[in-house]
Amino acid sequence: MKSVLENFDVKNFIKEVSEVSTKLIKGTENLAGIEEIDVGTAPKELVYEEDKLRLYHYKQDGKVTCGVPVLIVYALVNRQYMLDIQPDRSIVRNLLQRGMDLYIIDWGYPTKSDMYLTLDDYISGYLDNCVDVIRKRAGKDKINLMGICQGGTFCGIYSALYPEKVKNLVALVAPFDFSTNDGLLFSWAKNMNVDALVDTYRVIPGDFLNSGFLMLMPFTLNIRKYVDMLDVVEDRETLLNFLRMEKWIFDSPGQAGECLRQFMKDCYQDNKLIKGELRVGDRLVDLRNITMPLLNIYASADHLVPPAATRPLNDCVGTADKTLYEFKGGHIGVFVGSKSQKELAPTIATWLHDRDGEGHTKASPTPEHTRTAKTGQTTPEKKHSPKDKGLNKTK
Amino acid sequence: MERMKDYFDSWLKSQEQVFGNLTEMTKKYQQALQGFGGNVGGMPGLGGFQDLYNSWTTSVLHALQGSGSADINLLKETISKTLSGSNAYLKLYEIWLPLLKALQERAASPDSYKDMTDPAKYKEMLDRLFGFDPTLDSRITEQVSKLFETLAGSSQGFTKPWKDATEKTLKSFPSLMEGHPEEFMKIFHTLFSAFDSTIGRTFHVPAVGKDREKIELLLRSLDDLSVYLARKTEYEHMMYVTGIRSYEKVIATVADKVSKGEKFTKFDEFFDLWLDVSEKAYYALFQTQDFSKKQGELLEAQLNVRQHFFKLMELYLYDFPIALRSEMDDLYKTVYDLKKKVKSLEKQIVEAHA
Repeated sequence: MKSVLENFDVKNFIKEVSEVSTKLIKGTENLAGIEEIDVGTAPKELVYEEDKLRLYHYKQDGKVTCGVPVLIVYALVNRQYMLDIQPDRSIVRNLLQRGMDLYIIDWGYPTKSDMYLTLDDYISGYLDNCVDVIRKRAGKDKINLMGICQGGTFCGIYSALYPEKVKNLVALVAPFDFSTNDGLLFSWAKNMNVDALVDTYRVIPGDFLNSGFLMLMPFTLNIRKYVDMLDVVEDRETLLNFLRMEKWIFDSPGQAGECLRQFMKDCYQDNKLIKGELRVGDRLVDLRNITMPLLNIYASADHLVPPAATRPLNDCVGTADKTLYEFKGGHIGVFVGSKSQKELAPTIATWLHDRDGEGHTKASPTPEHTRTAKTGQTTPEKKHSPKDKGLNKTK
Repeated sequence: MERMKDYFDSWLKSQEQVFGNLTEMTKKYQQALQGFGGNVGGMPGLGGFQDLYNSWTTSVLHALQGSGSADINLLKETISKTLSGSNAYLKLYEIWLPLLKALQERAASPDSYKDMTDPAKYKEMLDRLFGFDPTLDSRITEQVSKLFETLAGSSQGFTKPWKDATEKTLKSFPSLMEGHPEEFMKIFHTLFSAFDSTIGRTFHVPAVGKDREKIELLLRSLDDLSVYLARKTEYEHMMYVTGIRSYEKVIATVADKVSKGEKFTKFDEFFDLWLDVSEKAYYALFQTQDFSKKQGELLEAQLNVRQHFFKLMELYLYDFPIALRSEMDDLYKTVYDLKKKVKSLEKQIVEAHA
């Protein structure tokens, strides 16, 4: 065996550690020199507001080639500008370039006066009102819904309750089957006294939820990330990119207590949605009523909403035109990863273009298909990958 | 006229005193409970490290204040977190130093590596990472007992037995916990019962009314605090054990590499190894039902303390001309119901016109 001394380069160790200290000082100076961290810069106009909700319509510089507008519905947790975090990493800009007519909901920051808002208020109230506003503006009976994460769950529920208003449904990394314990949040939520949480806080602080997210990878998210950041701290643009993500991560609205109570108890703890037992207001949510085309996108390495929570939706819907799409990456990568810009935005745009016509097109369910789905049996579904040329073709 | 002025001066002074006392009392309670809010869900504020950060970055942040940046809080937080992350890096180096020195002096064998690590320093690093405050327990008991004495209008140290017993039990708690954790909740309930049936009897004097309610709530709060402290200790113990075990695994990995003659040229290799092994170890812990259950219990204990705190404050603030939390809840409910009604009526009007 060699002498242990030969295995270590002590001088180099000391040099490395002192370099980190130097970078730290330099990094702090550079951080202090940043004036503004701009996010969500794609031009848009406010077209509707109700309480704290705002509905925006993105300005389309080019030609709209997809006639049916798309409403983007983000989760209540964190902010919707994730989809337009910076110009070169923007699903919004990508979809606009591909001829889509886009609207987006900003749910706002609930305060104590919003503590009584229920799941019903969000879905059959705010979301339904936004859909009606867009239908009226566009002169269409139906619009496209694109829901992300919890927003995808909301869109799924909405589509089951109001199928007559939804032309196509796109769900991105959205949980529907909460029985899994694959994701830590799913496991932890099952042992949480939600009533005590809501009764104590009324509006659950965003910091509370953030602390849970940080606990998922405490060493990576609290140490490695910031040490790694020191390597790029002298590059202003890269530093700004880092700060934009930081801004998004820690820009966490509080959660209206009653809505969170029902979402946590009925979905995370009792898994009522997938079992067909969830009630929103006085209505039962039957996912078999999702008879419009469905594009369900999940991320293979999603640690927040694991594939086991997203994939089962396709087994429960009433449509035969259902596409399950696997994105090779994690939850956040779906929105901001460079791969997602090249892959997902074109996929969604193409899929929607293909289903844009009246009495839409290629994959309309036949009566047999629909019946089969309603008996609970699944129809063969198409699983697309980026290599699927037909799907990636941009009109 | 002069007499009237004197009267109002005196009244004003007494009011100032009342509000002064109230402010002081609230401040005490807030200080006592500060630790709970920041760490709900078991995850950190930065604890004592925040203080270090505050002093270290004062000059930078002054400059930042003057820059008029719209995102000053985010920048401030990012600096704080960067400092925190880097500190962990430097701390790890500090922990490794004795080992490196021994290697340089050829004084170590792979088997003796782990004896050269200072567990106190390692614990300190874990405390910072997870936002644990080692002095929190004694500060809570100290401040809360003072507060309760103030609230109970007592200067006779009624809560001292509880405080002393709790502190004593807490000291022995981690070692006792190695055996049967479930038994230790009983210790705290026993403490409470002992307190309630001896010194606590003094509080049971008023038969009915608000005073009785206040005192019962005070006692209830002591029990809540005991439960919270027990849960917290249990939770932290689990986190420390995982941290130490993962650290031992890192050392074992290093020893294994050394014995195979592999070369370490960069400290970053240690750092990466430590991060990877630790992250995996904690992930494995977090996945267990036991952790999920204990985390849920800790949260519930925190929430109970908070809920009783809010109720207590309501009882004590009842006579002041301010809106109480429950009254605001009622108000919000009325506004919510009315808004809903108005929206529904507006919709009906639009539909009728269509």
